[in-house]
Amino acid sequence: MITQEEIRKIAKLAKLYVSEEEIGSLTEDMARIIAFADTINAAADTQEPFDSIQSLQNALREDVVRPSYPQEEILRNVNGGEDGYFRTKQSREG
Amino acid sequence: MRQYEMIAGLETHVELSTKTKIFCGCTTAFGSEPNTHCCPVCTGMPGTLPKLNARVVEYAVRAGLATGCRINRISKMDRKNYVYPDLPKAYQISQYDKPLCEWGRIELSNGRTIRITRIHIEEDAGKLVHVRGNTLVDYNRGGVPLIEIVTEPDFRSADEIREYLETLQLTMKTIGVSDCKMQEGSLRCDVNISVRPVGSETFGTRTEIKNMNSFTYMEKAVAYETERQIDLIESGGTVVQETRRYDEASGMTESMRGKEDADDYRYFREPDLVTIAVTDEQIEQWQADMPELPRHRLDRYTNQLQLPAADAALLVKYPRIAAYFDEAAQGVNARTVANFILGALFRRLPTDAEKENAAFPVPAAYLHDLAALIDGGKLNMNLAKTTFEKMLDTGKPVSDLLTQADLAGLDAEALAAVCRAAVENNPAAVADIRAGKEKAMGALIGYVMKATRGKADAGAATALLKQLIG
Ligand SMILES: [Zn+2]
Repeated sequence: MITQEEIRKIAKLAKLYVSEEEIGSLTEDMARIIAFADTINAAADTQEPFDSIQSLQNALREDVVRPSYPQEEILRNVNGGEDGYFRTKQSREG
Repeated sequence: MRQYEMIAGLETHVELSTKTKIFCGCTTAFGSEPNTHCCPVCTGMPGTLPKLNARVVEYAVRAGLATGCRINRISKMDRKNYVYPDLPKAYQISQYDKPLCEWGRIELSNGRTIRITRIHIEEDAGKLVHVRGNTLVDYNRGGVPLIEIVTEPDFRSADEIREYLETLQLTMKTIGVSDCKMQEGSLRCDVNISVRPVGSETFGTRTEIKNMNSFTYMEKAVAYETERQIDLIESGGTVVQETRRYDEASGMTESMRGKEDADDYRYFREPDLVTIAVTDEQIEQWQADMPELPRHRLDRYTNQLQLPAADAALLVKYPRIAAYFDEAAQGVNARTVANFILGALFRRLPTDAEKENAAFPVPAAYLHDLAALIDGGKLNMNLAKTTFEKMLDTGKPVSDLLTQADLAGLDAEALAAVCRAAVENNPAAVADIRAGKEKAMGALIGYVMKATRGKADAGAATALLKQLIG
């Protein structure tokens, strides 16, 4: 069973800030999601494990250079960035 | 105070020298303006799909074969989740429980073995620049393929770490999977380090020092961290499991973050990539066209060619020099060739970089011809040495620098005549020698060499002169 403490930890790891009021309902939601995943897991027991799926192997690409995007195109969704960089808030570890 | 020993394990990241990134066709070229080697895949735009570069698998398997790893015929990729701006997707595609290679080893010169736990493939992160309260991000390096080579906690000194890294670097360069340039970050390592009283069987709590990209910093950081842990324990404290950063300016390590959160990567299988299969045929082929590895070359030089160990190690350290040596030493005295390379040639290539990218003033074949003349008794060592210097100056072969007469050698009669002339024309030196000043012999030898244009054998001339002076 998932606990409220686990929900707080997952939120923290995902850098999501949830209020104390939300914790209860999120915990219930998460319990339902996990129950659904358990259903899939139970069904998956009849399937072969990942390493014998012969039909799904080695979708590989040759090591050939293709043109990259122009810098302004890459930075278009962030209003052009700053000096050619993406800009975020200060995020130094430690 | 009790005696302590340090215990360390290494995680080494090696950038593979593929032309393109691991999951897209963007170039891996170093340098350039920020965010110009990028596309929607390597900047994590929604709706894009990664496609694995075949060469990444090949290079990683080659690295595994060169370090004696077992190659997993079936492997997969996983998401390592953490939120930090150097990862545009908020996860890194890596390998968790099915790495490509497992259980290899690297032997050290002191007879100890460093066990390699695993080698897996993953994508590099972007580069962060911290300015004016903001963090700027460049994703040119994001998605560049890496292999991470993880060892068991088998190191007992910083010297062992250094030797392991040098061997690893040389091995990867030799098999051509990476240029391993530490200054460009294509080889960097994290050290897990703990201390324990000598004789203890249990491990102490370890700390991890991240991202060291020079041997000097690694050695300083390991020395500092070992001392810090010993002092902490001796003063009644306990070591906290955490990630630390080595600060070059202060020469100290400092805490980065609690390990508790960092370890919680919530790995799960990457659903956008299919299983990786490596066949026996591929492994056989990659094994077959593997060049001679540094440790095998070293064995050959010391055992078969009878080179002194230190000389052999110097040649092996630079793959291009070693190849030059191999070509020049074919069928002639290997020690003679090694001496020319380690002497005259190395003096002209003073730095590591010059030796690594050696632009040779003369082809190896010219040195070979010179060594053959010495072997055949056509050329004495003195003349050979000055001739080699001239070859390096001019780039010309021996045949252009010495006449047939030079190479004809000097018969006993001619040498005797020159020696007699030397004695007659240098009465002062002769008197000095008779008075016991052995050094004066130099003047007579100089006369003989000048008169014969260096063709005379110094040993034979000295013997003859001594006889004449009596
Ligand atoms: Zn790309």
